[in-house]
Amino acid sequence: MSDKIACTHCHLEFSKDVMIKDGEHYFCCNGCQGVFHLLSDEGLDSFYDKLGDNKLAPPSEQFEDASNFDSPAFYERFVSINKEGFAEVSLIIEGIHCAACVWLNEKALTNMDGVVATNINYTNNKAKIVWDDDIVKLSQIIEMIRAIGYDAYPYDASLQEVKADKERKEYYLRIAVAVFATMNMMTIMVAQYAGYFTGITPEIKHILNIGEWVLSTPVLFYSGWPFIRGTYYGIKTKTVNMDTLVATGAFLTYIYSIYITLTRSGEAYFDSVTMIITFVLVGKFLEVLSKKSVADTLDVMNRHLPTDVNVVEDEKIVTKNVNDVKISDIVLITSGERVAIDGEIIEGSGNFDESSLTGESEPVYKTIGENIVSGTVSIDADVKYKATKDFAHSTMSNIVSLLENAMNNKPRIQQLANRISEYFSSTILALAFLTFVGWLLYSSNFEQAFMISISVIVIACPCALALATPVATLVGLSIASKRGILFKEAAQLETMAGTDVLVLDKTGTITEGKPEVVNAKEYKEFDKSLLYSLILHSKHPIARSVAEYIFDDTLACLELESLQNIPSQGISAMYDSKMLAGGNAKLMQAIGIDIQSSSENSEFYFAYGGELLAKYELFDMPRKDAKEAIENIKRLGITVVMLTGDHERSAKKVAELVGIKNFEYEMTPEGKAAYIEKLHSEGKKVVMAGDGINDILALANSDIGIAMGNGSDIAIEVSDVVLLNDTFSSLYDSFKISKKTFTMIKENLALSFVYNAITIPLAMAGFIIPLIAALSMSASSLLVVGNSMRIKFGYKD
Amino acid sequence: MSSWVIAMMLGVSVFLGSIAVVALMWAIKKGQFDDEEKFLNAVKFDTEEDLNDAANLERKKEKLRKKEYRPE
Repeated sequence: MSDKIACTHCHLEFSKDVMIKDGEHYFCCNGCQGVFHLLSDEGLDSFYDKLGDNKLAPPSEQFEDASNFDSPAFYERFVSINKEGFAEVSLIIEGIHCAACVWLNEKALTNMDGVVATNINYTNNKAKIVWDDDIVKLSQIIEMIRAIGYDAYPYDASLQEVKADKERKEYYLRIAVAVFATMNMMTIMVAQYAGYFTGITPEIKHILNIGEWVLSTPVLFYSGWPFIRGTYYGIKTKTVNMDTLVATGAFLTYIYSIYITLTRSGEAYFDSVTMIITFVLVGKFLEVLSKKSVADTLDVMNRHLPTDVNVVEDEKIVTKNVNDVKISDIVLITSGERVAIDGEIIEGSGNFDESSLTGESEPVYKTIGENIVSGTVSIDADVKYKATKDFAHSTMSNIVSLLENAMNNKPRIQQLANRISEYFSSTILALAFLTFVGWLLYSSNFEQAFMISISVIVIACPCALALATPVATLVGLSIASKRGILFKEAAQLETMAGTDVLVLDKTGTITEGKPEVVNAKEYKEFDKSLLYSLILHSKHPIARSVAEYIFDDTLACLELESLQNIPSQGISAMYDSKMLAGGNAKLMQAIGIDIQSSSENSEFYFAYGGELLAKYELFDMPRKDAKEAIENIKRLGITVVMLTGDHERSAKKVAELVGIKNFEYEMTPEGKAAYIEKLHSEGKKVVMAGDGINDILALANSDIGIAMGNGSDIAIEVSDVVLLNDTFSSLYDSFKISKKTFTMIKENLALSFVYNAITIPLAMAGFIIPLIAALSMSASSLLVVGNSMRIKFGYKD
Repeated sequence: MSSWVIAMMLGVSVFLGSIAVVALMWAIKKGQFDDEEKFLNAVKFDTEEDLNDAANLERKKEKLRKKEYRPE
């Protein structure tokens, strides 16, 4: 009975008797069956060969009417007309699991009449579709995507995203040129050095120098353009930065080397020009690469609010755009719908999932006169309510705009190396100038004074300084990612090292986020199948957990009669003409069983035929490694605070269990953000770890937001660090790695200073010979890279 | 060995190399590496059929474009 079989379409496994048999194929639902036949008819069934062993999500069958996509308002917002007169839209396609899914979507759309281009990005599931609007409409395109088992919704491909992409591409191009030139330069340098030690004819040396000149020119003027541009703006705003030093250093070295080449006197340093620019450019690129765009997050966020609602007007139901709903309009919500506008219930009652506001998964029962809040989801409630606010001022819209604000004004802590480079650059430039003046007075030989002062700048190669941070963070990032910690931006490692306060969310972060049976008491032997059959019909998380707890293979599904879900109490049914009841103490009292409830845990009682049979106590337990990890984090000198939307009793219990002294309960999303703002105003650096939609504001407001890997999509989008393996010890690891990385950065900077302290005086005294210059160039960079590798010690994997 | 041989070898190799770099830059600009996952996975699905599809799409676009440019 329990032999499982995979659905032909989605490959998920179910037991054979619940599957739909269709010829030799089995399907888990009508949706899968429909898609399978559609693909066969269209000749797209090679999709299944490409799919391999990958599993899909079964297609959803609840879609809002696609014709909304053809409304002029919608076209105006999302659809643009390109140069050739075709319509263009950016979509996010949901349900893409593998490359075969991308293939299928592209293929199916390409085969449609009127569609002229489709391009789906595998990594972020974003698609660009171009079509002729006279032949096919957007609604048909979206219906096609839905028909093959996916869903699509449009997003505003904002300028920001386009800009970030362009910047990245530009860096690729510049690096391609720089790396090519550097590699060729190296082969030439082998000949140069061999010649330096064993003798070389001036003729050949001259040729090699000219070759180097040719190679270094595009590097300086094309790859090095960001530095030249940076210097230009630096001069304009009268600031000196790393760009200034790199650009002046490289440029002066280039001029000097040309002079050497033309006069055939001494050694040229074209290799230094390319190396400096290549190294620093790669370092800079590492930082650009990991920058995330705010636009992405808001796209996902907006998705969480419906765009239309059903409004009762003159006793008829009209679908209205959320922005057209006025205060005191009567709005209709049916089960499964998400509330878009705040209001007060005037008819009906039912359970609402308020996890997006409180983080608690337990549904809240609401009836006439109570407020419902946007962003919550009706689980089984069909209610009419009166809007008390318009859409723009409803809770969720507020949160979205606060979020937008917070993400655009994220505190940026300037990196140590950047702060230092300012002083470093001005010092070096000043020293070079002093050397020039000094030598001019001493030897009154302009040429000699000029050459020596340039050698000061060349020798004070900013390579080590510029590489100090990127190389250390790169090593830190790679260790972190091996342990399932994903830093979205390299600079965050450094920021995180200076943390003062760690703010933790309770449900889903410290705890598993789902109640677990911690205590079971059976008053009498009974057939577990009775209980199992009953609670299978409840969607309540407590019932789910009890079902999971008692589940084993011997349980059978019994036929129950007159099933009844009693809101905020439990579930009841008839079997064998006796009543089955499962729920809380209130339900037991209602059926005449006297129970004194005293436990601080949630309780679930089960009665059959008016006799109490079992009691289960449930509690959302902290993760197993939470206590130890929190102690370790405290030992790093970080204050740990817990903020939760839950009530005092369970907050206190969890705080005691994991050893947190400071906690706040019944916090709203805005309250959490305000708490973090308060810490900021006290000059603290705050790291926030959370998992739910209720945490996003706090995550966005903190210096570093950390999301648990199984948290909501938005929390992951908003945060800067994601703990992929979802454990608490990796939270501790992330602190440890960031501290270690920062120590390395400081050591690297110190090293490059020691280097300069030795070589600059030599250069100023005019003792620099080419060999020392070349050695110092490579050795200082090598030292920095080598030192950074030490972060790996202590991390075996 | 006379030095013009060195000069020629250097020149030719740098020239050939730069052709490859220019080709790479062209590909980057065209967006061929924009989606690294797809770039790697596309190899698996690169059959004759897919090539035909791409060609058909071009043809379809061309036809539609001509229609657009008809005198009004």
